[in-house]
Amino acid sequence: MVKQDMKLIVDGKRLDGRRFDELREIKMSVGVLNRTNGSAYVEWGKNKILAGVHGPRELHPKYLRDPTKAVLTCTYNMAPFSVDERKKPGPDRRSVEISKVISEALGHVAVLEKYPNTGIDVFVEVLQADAGTRCASIVAASLAMANSGMPMRDMISACAAGKIDGEIVLDLMKEEDNFGECDLPVAISPRRKEIVLLQMDGKLTREEFKKAYRLAIDGAMRVYDMQKKTLIESMKIEE
Amino acid sequence: MFMVGDGDLVIPGQLIGENVSCLDNCFMENNRVYSMVFGMVRINGRVVRVIPSLGVYTPKRDDLVIGVIINVMEGSWIVDINSPYLCRMRGEEVTKDVMNKNLSKYYDVGDRISAKISFVNEVNSCEITGPWKLIDGVIINVNPKRIPRVVGKRRSMLEILKKKTNCNIVVGQNGRIWVRSDNFDNVKLAINAIKRIEREAQSSGLTDRIEKMLENARRS
Repeated sequence: MVKQDMKLIVDGKRLDGRRFDELREIKMSVGVLNRTNGSAYVEWGKNKILAGVHGPRELHPKYLRDPTKAVLTCTYNMAPFSVDERKKPGPDRRSVEISKVISEALGHVAVLEKYPNTGIDVFVEVLQADAGTRCASIVAASLAMANSGMPMRDMISACAAGKIDGEIVLDLMKEEDNFGECDLPVAISPRRKEIVLLQMDGKLTREEFKKAYRLAIDGAMRVYDMQKKTLIESMKIEE
Repeated sequence: MFMVGDGDLVIPGQLIGENVSCLDNCFMENNRVYSMVFGMVRINGRVVRVIPSLGVYTPKRDDLVIGVIINVMEGSWIVDINSPYLCRMRGEEVTKDVMNKNLSKYYDVGDRISAKISFVNEVNSCEITGPWKLIDGVIINVNPKRIPRVVGKRRSMLEILKKKTNCNIVVGQNGRIWVRSDNFDNVKLAINAIKRIEREAQSSGLTDRIEKMLENARRS
């Protein structure tokens, strides 16, 4: 991370006026796409993420099929207009990495054995990015999977913590991510509090790491409550 | 001890109860029962099951399904049954002399049939038997998990639909419903009612509401 002379904490508050342990405003909805088996839309601060699940469906080419379970594939893609400077369309090193970590996180909770020889495709499209897209994408993908009716042992919720101006804070926004000292995205399965994703960009001492980790878990649990509320309310609207 | 009540909505991984038995779409871990899908809890004594609100169709033996012929092979047909798994229908269903006859004479690509699933193996490959060609009519798709609501308890909802709309209706467990009537207005009415059942599947008192809706529509 590049250190620059930019004050990220002013009068004990962050640039957008949040407390150190405060999340950005989050909006979630499910069943937003008609042509998918399950879908979700998440607005997390200025992040706008759309996720859709196709499947379980026939998997082609046939040699990729697994007779013991379904094959889960996730595709994370950032729209060219999602960032300030136009992003070159198509997969790059970062999106391949995030696709992989989301697939692994979802594969940890999905009961893939129920659908042998099939494929499940999860597509995550970042329409607008403002730091923390991998956490928001995991949350959206998990909601879309639950909305598709896919059997899962748990949901996945995620949140990032980090270090800015020497302070450990929750849910970094773009400026904090760019000019801060560390970013620590964490995804968990809330039932057993198992870690399904843990990455760190920057440096933290052991004590700082513990504090940031606890803060991220706390944030992820709050996100889990929102996911639960969104799913339950989606069914009530239909009544 | 149950943590949720009968008819409550649960999400995957949500705790349903302790020291209780579980049937469908839930799992037990350390004597605790958790939901495996997003759906509605049904409690019967000490036994719990979760009815999923959405999902794809997995073939089960003896299910009546509505399929579309997608390929004519040497001695069999491949049928799409609105499931992740394709289905095979043997040529012996229509003729004994399978190898010497052109099977597309009986069922060709695009033909719609209702049939019963006769065999499902461990990887969900299946075969169907007793085909019945569906001529005319309209096929509509609903979510397979909402089919039990379209049929109703002891077929009550289906009987109301048939009686009040004067339509022939065949409900496939795979989420396809065939509706036919000489009067197309009746078909439209039946389709509207089925779509409403699908939308409001999780609510109670639906049979009465649908009956009322169909009566009002017939009067006007």
